[in-house]
Amino acid sequence: MIQEIIAFTILGIAVAFLVKKYFFKSKKKKDCGDGNCGCS
Amino acid sequence: MSVQNINVALIGNPNTGKTSVFNQLTGLNQQVGNYPGITVEKKIGFCKLPNNIKANILDLPGTYSLNASSMDESVVIELLLNKNDKLYPDVAVVVTDVENLKRNLLIYTQIKDLEIPTILVINMSDRMERKGISLDIPYLEEKLKTKIALVSSRKGLGIEELKELIVSYKNITHEPCLNASVIDPEYFEKLKHAFPNQLMYKLWLVITQDVNFSNLDRNEVRSTFTKSHSELKRLQQKETIKRYQFINDVLKEGLKVDASLAKDIRAKLDRVLTHKVWGYFIFFAILFLIFQSIFSWSTIPMDFIDSTFASLSSWVAEELPSGILTDLLSQGIIPGIGGVIIFIPQIAFLFLFISILEESGYMSRVVFLMDKIMRRFGLSGKSVVPLISGTACAIPAIMATRNIENWKERLITILVTPFTTCSARLPVYAIIISLVVPSKRIFGFLNVQGLTLMALYVLGFFAAILSAYILNKVLKLESKTYFVVEMPSYKMPLLKNVGINVVEKTKAFIVGAGKIILAISVILWFLASYGPGKEFNDAENIVKERFANTTLDETQFENEVNSQKLENSYIGLMGRAIEPAIQPLGYDWKIGIALISSFAAREVFVGTLATIYSVGDTDNESTIKSKMQAEVRPDTGKKVFDFATGISLLLFYAFAMQCASTLAITKKETNSWKWPAMQLVFMSALAYFTALIAYQLLK
Repeated sequence: MIQEIIAFTILGIAVAFLVKKYFFKSKKKKDCGDGNCGCS
Repeated sequence: MSVQNINVALIGNPNTGKTSVFNQLTGLNQQVGNYPGITVEKKIGFCKLPNNIKANILDLPGTYSLNASSMDESVVIELLLNKNDKLYPDVAVVVTDVENLKRNLLIYTQIKDLEIPTILVINMSDRMERKGISLDIPYLEEKLKTKIALVSSRKGLGIEELKELIVSYKNITHEPCLNASVIDPEYFEKLKHAFPNQLMYKLWLVITQDVNFSNLDRNEVRSTFTKSHSELKRLQQKETIKRYQFINDVLKEGLKVDASLAKDIRAKLDRVLTHKVWGYFIFFAILFLIFQSIFSWSTIPMDFIDSTFASLSSWVAEELPSGILTDLLSQGIIPGIGGVIIFIPQIAFLFLFISILEESGYMSRVVFLMDKIMRRFGLSGKSVVPLISGTACAIPAIMATRNIENWKERLITILVTPFTTCSARLPVYAIIISLVVPSKRIFGFLNVQGLTLMALYVLGFFAAILSAYILNKVLKLESKTYFVVEMPSYKMPLLKNVGINVVEKTKAFIVGAGKIILAISVILWFLASYGPGKEFNDAENIVKERFANTTLDETQFENEVNSQKLENSYIGLMGRAIEPAIQPLGYDWKIGIALISSFAAREVFVGTLATIYSVGDTDNESTIKSKMQAEVRPDTGKKVFDFATGISLLLFYAFAMQCASTLAITKKETNSWKWPAMQLVFMSALAYFTALIAYQLLK
């Protein structure tokens, strides 16, 4: 039971992370013209 | 006869030897102070000249242009705009370096346009012979409308001639170099009408520069003739381009650099490295060595990482209590993360070589070399920088297009940059090449896998410039920007700089990609471990019925059940739904899932396959590569990753726009969804049809 709770919590976090990353992008105040923007 | 005092302002770019000229003119007669209210150093010296003239020589801070971006530069502009200042120059002496004349002349043309009598000093004349430089001084004097002193401040040559020119400064014409109204004729016409007694270029500086001065009501000028910040920036860029066009035209005839006459080491190296034949040959030889090394040197650490993650999965599965979390860890998270960690050695080696090339000064020569090719395809010379930096990541590369003034050239560069092979493609290429291209050597030293990798990089580059050529024809470019690149001197790369660069860039890739891959691996595992309906939930009975007349041992039975479950899981159903569209390319539904998930980021491809192949796999110790190698098509029994499918996949990833972040940055930079949509459709269609043709020909 505890394994299921942890596993589904991880699933929730993973979905929330991707939704936030691709659908609710936070606007950066400064641009990063030097190329060091930490993008993947 | 009374002594006549005159003010002489020494102006110029940093590192042109301006202070040496100042010292030569003034000797020990110097005073050092600060400009009122700010801590910018003010140096004034005195010099006795013929005809009873005493010159107050003011050494102004080094500045590249009259577009103030620092306090130092503001000091120069404020002085030149304020005739009431007691130090306002009677004559300006612009000091330039003979080796960087083009860049140094920008500020000269600006000062000349303020109609201040200006003398041009061309410094470091002692290096002309060594560099193979010759100057047509009378021609330059005529075109630049000035008097020129050829000086070597280090050797004290030409200083007396300079003094004579200062004495006779009244003979120098006030005529400007550039008619300011060419910047925006309509706008300047209105300005002229409103301020008929003012100098146009001075008004323009008042509008564009945030500097203090006393003899013009700036608020009046700015409130009447204000323009948006972006419009002013655009006009300033236009002004700079016009000035460089003028400078280029003048130097084309007035300055000759014959590299064959140059005698120093840098010139000798440049003669070879930027040679129209040998330059390209050496560049490709260096590329070839890099890609050979990437494959050869990374094998051992990659195998180590791969087997470590396989062992870790196995250990987790055996040691932790059985359950959903243990399965998620051993079959989802660990293989998924392993799928990105494994590529650290190759990515680190790639960045190591790029850093060394950049640090040594060779990369600027590559930019210079490639500029000649770029122009034939309608790109700006400045497009080379984004295309080369795109080998790391397309996102900063697209941002780097901001320094391309011409909008259409910039747009084309933005649209074609994603073709450059970025580091996210490297994991996909590396695993597919290692699966389908034999690890053998030809002529004893050419690693075929390394050659294939290099061919893919070259393919990406040519796809970019060919697309640019097509876009150039379609978008009908009307004008081009001028390309100015400063060749730094060659130097031994600093180990510390290279190390920091490699660590920072590899970390950015791993951390950025790692988070996405981890999240996608978790979701994929759930989608592959759960499914709707009887076909999934009743898998054991279905397999029992199917093999009722066959004897299966425990492992075989388990494998059949897992296979039945995977095919009918949520992800299996999704994969099979798109299978008809990707089958002609040689892909099965599992590869189809990897294609879909890697739309977010290309590097997710390997992690996805690692997760899919791990779900229900009874052998947790298999490495990613061995799992992919062992995968067979159920209908034919042939390997999934054969040569035809491998090449098809390589070509698909070479051309496909599999990166949501790149689309987002294209939207941001172009301020329209039209261009990223076009990018997506064009690149996807090209990828699909190239992969289709390749598979159909090779299968």
